[in-house]
Amino acid sequence: MRAFAAALLVCCAGCSYFHATPGPYRPPGLANPPGAATGQQLYLRDCAWCHGDKGGGTSRAPDLRTGTNGPALTDFELRTGRMPLANMSEPVRRRPRFYSEPQIEAIVGYVATLGGKGPAVPSPHPDRGSLALGEQLYQANCAACHSTTGVGGALTPWSHEIPPRPHAPGRFVAPRVTQATPREIAEAMQTGPGAMPVFGKEAFDEQQIDSVVRYVRAMRTPADHGGAPIGHVGPVAEGAVAWLVGLGLLLLFVRLIGTKAGQYG
Amino acid sequence: MIRRLYKWFDDRLGASEFTEHALKKVFPDHWSFMLGEIALYCFVVLVATGIFLGLFFDPTSTKVTYHGPYLPLNGVPMSRAYESVVNLSFGVRAGLVMRQIHHWAALVFIASIVVHLCRIYFTGAFRRPREINWVIGVTLLLLGIFNGFTGYSMPDDLLSGTGLRIAYSVALSIPVVGTWIAFLVFGGEFPSNAIIGRLFFTHVFLVPAALGALIGVHLAIIWRQKHTQFPGRLEREDNVVGTHLWPTYAAKSVALFLGVFATLSAIGGLVQINPVWLYGPFRPEQVTSPAQPDWFLGWIEGALRLFPSFEVRALGFEIPSVFYPAVLVPGLTFMLLYAWPFLEAWVTGDHGPHHLLDRPRDRPVRTALGAATLTFYAMLFFSASNDLIAKGPAVPVDTVTMIFLTLVFALPPVVAFGTYKLMRSLRDQTVKALSGTTSTPGKFAPRS
Amino acid sequence: MARRGGWIGFALLCTLVASVGVTIVYAEGGQPQLEGLLLAVALGGIALALVGWAKAFMPHGPHVEERERVPSEIVHRPDVIQYVDEGAEEIGRRRFLARLLGLAVLALGGAAVFPIRSLGSAPGRSLFKTAWKPGVRAVREDGTFVRASEVAVDSILTVFPEGHTEDGDSPAVLIHLPEGLYRAPPHRADWSPQGFVAFSKLCTHAGCPVGLYQAPSKQLFCPCHQSVFDVIDGARPTSGPATRPLPQLPIAIDGSGFIVAAGDFSDPVGPGFWNRDRT
Repeated sequence: MRAFAAALLVCCAGCSYFHATPGPYRPPGLANPPGAATGQQLYLRDCAWCHGDKGGGTSRAPDLRTGTNGPALTDFELRTGRMPLANMSEPVRRRPRFYSEPQIEAIVGYVATLGGKGPAVPSPHPDRGSLALGEQLYQANCAACHSTTGVGGALTPWSHEIPPRPHAPGRFVAPRVTQATPREIAEAMQTGPGAMPVFGKEAFDEQQIDSVVRYVRAMRTPADHGGAPIGHVGPVAEGAVAWLVGLGLLLLFVRLIGTKAGQYG
Repeated sequence: MIRRLYKWFDDRLGASEFTEHALKKVFPDHWSFMLGEIALYCFVVLVATGIFLGLFFDPTSTKVTYHGPYLPLNGVPMSRAYESVVNLSFGVRAGLVMRQIHHWAALVFIASIVVHLCRIYFTGAFRRPREINWVIGVTLLLLGIFNGFTGYSMPDDLLSGTGLRIAYSVALSIPVVGTWIAFLVFGGEFPSNAIIGRLFFTHVFLVPAALGALIGVHLAIIWRQKHTQFPGRLEREDNVVGTHLWPTYAAKSVALFLGVFATLSAIGGLVQINPVWLYGPFRPEQVTSPAQPDWFLGWIEGALRLFPSFEVRALGFEIPSVFYPAVLVPGLTFMLLYAWPFLEAWVTGDHGPHHLLDRPRDRPVRTALGAATLTFYAMLFFSASNDLIAKGPAVPVDTVTMIFLTLVFALPPVVAFGTYKLMRSLRDQTVKALSGTTSTPGKFAPRS
Repeated sequence: MARRGGWIGFALLCTLVASVGVTIVYAEGGQPQLEGLLLAVALGGIALALVGWAKAFMPHGPHVEERERVPSEIVHRPDVIQYVDEGAEEIGRRRFLARLLGLAVLALGGAAVFPIRSLGSAPGRSLFKTAWKPGVRAVREDGTFVRASEVAVDSILTVFPEGHTEDGDSPAVLIHLPEGLYRAPPHRADWSPQGFVAFSKLCTHAGCPVGLYQAPSKQLFCPCHQSVFDVIDGARPTSGPATRPLPQLPIAIDGSGFIVAAGDFSDPVGPGFWNRDRT
């Protein structure tokens, strides 16, 4: 009896230990995705080592059941290739998608069962939105980080995080938004991934979201009526062109016209 | 036909003696003497294109709703000023190319003044009797920077409006009179309805008039004193060697004007500048990132980014943190610039007239100081893009700022030392080549 | 020589063609890139033609001209000084009147400067207050009221006092922090109901709107000169050139669930000025 109790105690201790501190590092199977694994199988193989077996988070990655976590956020992270990370030193940023469409749906479906109360996957209709309203909303809410031209900008490094999380480089930048699909734009607005605040459904109705999406999509082909846009970063690039091209050409020209040293002697 | 025309004017004005003297006047035509001309012709292009723009721009802050060919702004409220610029860019034939040529011309105008100033400095052309022209030239630089700022602030777009807000805050920071200066210049608390109209009047009338007058005096003094020249076989302190004004120098000068205009036209049509429709109309609660001023204010912007969080507070008064990088630094800069010819004359004890130029290697101390100063301002200038620099390799902006703060103080002395050594060795090489020895002390003396 | 002339002729021909071209482009409605390029060719053609012409066919030195042997100032200066002195003697003799003249000119000059006063209003107290008052409801840029339920956790919204959406000094950022996180400064315990906090949007460094909010670390970031404000710690500046925290707006949630102000900001908003501390 005492032996059995002792064994049970050891098992309980062992179980809780392994749940609280996940076991040895198991790299995700990023090299050989299987054919038709279920959402749970993919999750356990590729995500659990950081996000925990039941999505409860570890010291490596956050809890998938709190905040805006839910179908939309999971879909966003997988669709933009931000997740999965192969290792902790990889920055979280847009990359080629790792999973196929059915796989994404499967994982999204499984993660949804873990308990996150975040928004469902949105289906925006940009054609129903107003371009001018989108412009005004974008200028008011998005331009400060992502630039009026959508090229993105620098952010400040974390001095701390709440709750604290290990440092993951690549978050010092608000990314370019013009590559995002309508669904990704709406998902990002509603879930606030990465450094983004949340611009949720409570604050923005469907018409407003459709408008922002329509405007961001329109920014993929901005009206560069004036010629080469030189990166859409403004005066810095313009100053470089003025000095290197403008003044540069004119310096060559005066070298052509004028005399050189010692020409008269 | 031209002969008859000339005779008609000469009968009435009797200026043949002057005309003969003028047409035969000799101008030294080293290529580096034409940098000021580039600036002059940029000014001409600015006035010409500016006249066109002034006929379309509406300097009013009244709120209107845009309805025009640029769809993303259709139905968006904005000021009349901003609307008139969007209209000019999309609805007026040749409007956008004129706007862009004008803005590129402004950037190249100030760049060429700076390069010209460097030439004057490094060759010692500011020495007696040319101190007056140096002072006028520094004033032209100051007015040029000022007009550039007022010019790009006039369209009332989000990017330039942010710059105006910073200018207002800088004015506020001046001790004792700052709040009065800010309120009087802007016509009240920011953003006021008066500022766009005042920018327009200053930019189109007051400053160009001052620029035109000063440029006239600048050229008249060169005409009177005759241009400097490098020492050489024929060149002496008491002569001028070059080409006659007519026909050769005049032809080349006209060619330079056309060349300047051509270059600015090419960039003006092919490379987009200040696309205000993409920035959106100014609203005081909005901002964009990255946010930089035009290049000629980059050094002040960089100083604002580098200067640590420090302010002086005592007895209920304060001198806030923007005062030091945005008022003190530029103030000291221009004071030093204005004082330089007199400072150098006092330090070297050389108060005599000079019409022959120094080669930079002949004055290693002056050259080294100049190179170090340029390095200092270049570091300030580049720090204004710290967020763009940080974005590329995705490093923290703070790190980039720290690096520049170090460079701004560490690099100039290194450059000074290196330049000094380089100039000395170049000078010794020249002397050795000419006289076969390296032991000649003092500077290379021109043949008299 | 003839070959040079050939190139010059070619350049002028380019000008001709380009000039005609740019006229056609204008007539057809205009196109900025073509306009700029053709204009450049037209102007550049003559420019290069003139350069070629000057170099190949015009006389080019060295020509030598003498500077003045004896400067004119040495010859004429004594006469000028004497003439001016003679004219001024009359004034100098009547000392008292001369002094009075000087004083009169000074006074007139002082008076003439005064129209500058008309340029704007006196600063007065306008920098010390905004349109926020107790009970004033917060509105968005489009004038709609803000319900607390519309602002999710980790959301940020720019708000104005009702009726003042065009003001430059009153914009504020409304942030919904997770409850219990905010460390209120002394005497502000009731300024942040249910995790909602509001601060002035104007950076205390140079007045730019502090528009970037980083939700995971609860930091506000100013894009102009990179000041960072820690929202949880009373929007205290933790990095960059700003020296003072963002002034806080006391807010409350009224009976209908709308966000209202409970007073004006805690300090004068925006950047510092000489007498800012003398409230």
